[in-house]
Amino acid sequence: MTAYETARAGGVVDTAVGFPKSREDMFEFYEFIRKGSHDAATTAGELEFPAGYMFKNVPKWESDEMGDPVEMLFLEHQRHGITQAIVGVEDEVGRRAVRDLPDHFFASIGIDPNEGMDAVRKIDRYANEFDLKAVGAFPSGLYPQVALNDKMFYPIYAKCIEVGVAFCSTAGVPGPRLQFAPQEVALIDEVCWFFPELVFVTRHGCEPWTALAAKLLLKWPNLYYSTTAFAPKYYPADIINFANTRGADKVIFSGYFPAGLTYERIFNELPGVPFRDHVWQKFLRENAQRVFKLPAEDLS
Amino acid sequence: MSSEAFEKARADLGVIDTMIGFPAPREEQAKHYDFIRRQTHDADSQEWEFPAQYMFKGVPHYDKVDDPVEMLLAKMNQHGITRALTGMAVDGNAKIALERHPDRFIASTNTDPNQGMDAVRKLEQDVRVHGARAVNCWGTGLIPQVPLNDKKMYPIYAKCIELDIPIFVYAGVPGPRIRFAPQEVALLDEVCWFFPELKIVTRHGGEPWSELMVKLLLKWPNLHYSTSAFAPKHYNKDIIHFANTRGADKVIYAGYYPMGLDIDRIFAELPHVPFRDHVWPKFLYENAARLLKV
Repeated sequence: MTAYETARAGGVVDTAVGFPKSREDMFEFYEFIRKGSHDAATTAGELEFPAGYMFKNVPKWESDEMGDPVEMLFLEHQRHGITQAIVGVEDEVGRRAVRDLPDHFFASIGIDPNEGMDAVRKIDRYANEFDLKAVGAFPSGLYPQVALNDKMFYPIYAKCIEVGVAFCSTAGVPGPRLQFAPQEVALIDEVCWFFPELVFVTRHGCEPWTALAAKLLLKWPNLYYSTTAFAPKYYPADIINFANTRGADKVIFSGYFPAGLTYERIFNELPGVPFRDHVWQKFLRENAQRVFKLPAEDLS
Repeated sequence: MSSEAFEKARADLGVIDTMIGFPAPREEQAKHYDFIRRQTHDADSQEWEFPAQYMFKGVPHYDKVDDPVEMLLAKMNQHGITRALTGMAVDGNAKIALERHPDRFIASTNTDPNQGMDAVRKLEQDVRVHGARAVNCWGTGLIPQVPLNDKKMYPIYAKCIELDIPIFVYAGVPGPRIRFAPQEVALLDEVCWFFPELKIVTRHGGEPWSELMVKLLLKWPNLHYSTSAFAPKHYNKDIIHFANTRGADKVIYAGYYPMGLDIDRIFAELPHVPFRDHVWPKFLYENAARLLKV
């Protein structure tokens, strides 16, 4: 077996997964992006998925193809050897998944700092009800947008530290035609300086500032990178190089199912990523288990 | 409008002084201000015993203080000050006072938001474990300075709301020769907008933006004003007018002993402040009692 195959046999953690939705429901879900966009292709809904121009073969289900979303996702995970997954628990589907399959699904929520103290209390509330593993944000997708180093985020960061939960944010130029400024990679430096204890995991690639991302990943012990929304053949060379040299503990696998990528595609391309042997099991499983405090078992 | 109303309020309810310190020997008091000297650039500030001394007449000075706690208490008794908000554990005096006279002193902790999460945790500890009922932050005096609307303040503000305690902050041009920018009154608007639940009490006058101060006091239900560092004869007219009209619940008595004002002077001038009768009990006692949960 190759190092990749051995690592995969021990289990794979996907740190950001959504449940399948019908095309109509998915379209409705992206209303928050259309609200903040000004270009006609996005606002008029011509782009069914606002970042659709970047992706090939985005997963789609017509309403009559939909079964139980929890079952659909779980089957998909079994088929591809995903053994643990972090999902949102703000709707009934996610709550049921975490309750019914507690060894497989783990809880996360999204956060909008525009809500002030209500957002702070939301973290406490979910942390009391669930074994909360991640608080996620999409700074460019908020309405109004909130920059990663904005003061509105500061009480959120403090609360994540208090509760001991990882904070995950998209970073880099977003696919949807929203301004990138709120999630420039450079902003992360200030956050890590003021909150060195904050466990901060980037999502969605950090492009085109991957050289800076590698610098910051090296500089800040609690900063991590996850590969959400990137097909493995497009993983940035700077990040692969960093994982292969000093950053094996800092780069974390994530897919983008069902938003933009099928698991077929991900696992077809994954073996072609030029990670060195020692990186694979950290990348696929161990880093996520440590950073998100998931049960750490090697299933191989 | 009468000094009888003042006397009656003082006799019926007592007085809460929301800013008081313990008397200290001259040299020690002067040394206390080193933190201000470190960030001034003018020559006077390096020489002066008290960096705002050009503004004050009759600053209390003591060559020797035997028992600072009992000395302060005697002064309080003399003028009918029944309770005082004091720092905690900054020096031995506060600790002694809080232990010896828990019915007379209320603990307030101090915060430096530059310390990030350590400041948040200290605040929580001081309130939950050590009984603090308020927090003080003079952002302009910190190194580096922290403006009222600075992001570093935000976790502190959030924690104050969680703990349900008021934060005492400074507003207006400061006496010491450091920049006023971090405590411009205008900055409060943003803080009150984002944290409408936060109970704020301003200190040190808010001048020269007292008209704006009044607008904000009216606009934001949880914003309050205290009269620290002002001799009663210099109480701001906008503030007195506001207290007499719509703001009786928003203006709170604070002295400035021993830093700049003698309590004897304060209480000689106080009865002459033209507050309307219904304002006095609220000003001297009730507003502070409500915020500090006395």
